[in-house]
Amino acid sequence: MTYNPENRRFPLSQHTIGPFFPPGFFQPGDNDLTRYSADATPTEQGEVFILHGNVCKEGRLPVPNMILEMWQADANGRFRSECDPEGDQADPDFIAWGRSWTTMEGDYSFRSVLPGSYEEDGQRRAPHLNVLLMGIGLMKPVTTTLYFPQFAELNAKDPILNLVPEHQRDRLLVQPDGEVDGVPAYRFDILTRGPADEETIFFET
Amino acid sequence: MRNIHTTRLYDPWPDGVEPSVPIEGYTNTWLFTPSQPAIRKPVTRTETTGPAELWRKLICGDGNLAVTSTGKWAQGLYMRVFGQILDEDSRPIPNAVVELWQANAAGRYAHTLDNRRAPLDPNFLGNGRVRSDENGWYEFHTIKPGAYPVPVKDAWWRPAHIHFSVLGPGTLSRLVTQMYFPGDPMNDWDRILNSVGDAAARNRLIATQQHPRDAGTEALGYRFDIVLRGRNATPEA
Ligand SMILES: [Fe+3]
Repeated sequence: MTYNPENRRFPLSQHTIGPFFPPGFFQPGDNDLTRYSADATPTEQGEVFILHGNVCKEGRLPVPNMILEMWQADANGRFRSECDPEGDQADPDFIAWGRSWTTMEGDYSFRSVLPGSYEEDGQRRAPHLNVLLMGIGLMKPVTTTLYFPQFAELNAKDPILNLVPEHQRDRLLVQPDGEVDGVPAYRFDILTRGPADEETIFFET
Repeated sequence: MRNIHTTRLYDPWPDGVEPSVPIEGYTNTWLFTPSQPAIRKPVTRTETTGPAELWRKLICGDGNLAVTSTGKWAQGLYMRVFGQILDEDSRPIPNAVVELWQANAAGRYAHTLDNRRAPLDPNFLGNGRVRSDENGWYEFHTIKPGAYPVPVKDAWWRPAHIHFSVLGPGTLSRLVTQMYFPGDPMNDWDRILNSVGDAAARNRLIATQQHPRDAGTEALGYRFDIVLRGRNATPEA
């Protein structure tokens, strides 16, 4: 079917998830991007890492029951999708998506592999993680994109990171934070609302 | 694989379609909603793509919330909620993961955070997850939820509503929304529904009641089509 203006529809409006998102929607392994399900074989491609941190609101008060979803490219910078020209070569064991849920202390965590960089429209994208956050009080999910400090050269050329004023770009870097369960850990704390120079930088499309 | 050009795949949200925040009387929106405007970014590959075979991670069920696995019936008015998951060009979206959660007939959620003085129904959990079929159809069998009050200053009642979370083909087509019931006077007073400024956009959040000749007499029928953003993100069949 080709585009026909008569078929045009408008997307539905967004609404908050409210305070009662069902705990039953979280199963063990949902925050592990390296495997399709808790009992599936994890991918063998890429360097495993843990991303963790907390979510706070106005006044730096930690927020329980916030839902985070993460999406990224595989270790070679490919997405298993028709929208990626090399999508058929993407890692078939890597789902690249996960969901985490903040604890009563506002803490979340993900397990994944370092995403690769890739070329798009003649520009090179630095390795990045797309994070979506939803919860009570957010009438629509907010999204951000996180980068790794060890890829400084790639970061400097990333067209999306370059949309952020230069002095603020560091605020989208995850911070090396030792090891968890024998793999490198990174920390990224989220402040949904606060002073302008501390609030997390969000993007919209 | 076919190369989809990743420019201009998504139309911007028309005015009045997105909820306006913060919402008066809904304190949480003032405490959570970012004070700074989000940075506009173009649509690139990383937004048009999304997890393949997500149902392997988010296990889907049969969508029957009205009867427990041991055959016990929930209390309330039985209803079937169904519809089509579509993109902006009216093309069906197969394999979308559709999550639903709702209050019971007395307006209470089976959730530890809901300690309102209303009865819990031991036979109603009020949540389910299904996968849309090859033509984009989904359906749930459930009961009609009750209204519940929002205990803030200038309190109001939330009209009966159902929460939906839909994971479509791309991360930009991710949708979280709520469905409302036609003809409910409380719809006019609901600050959350009315945070959507455009009347036509609000109407799209209200389900269509099915005539008994179509719905039958076993359960009420409500049709609720769900249109996701992202026209060209839907692979052509
Ligand atoms: Fe609700």
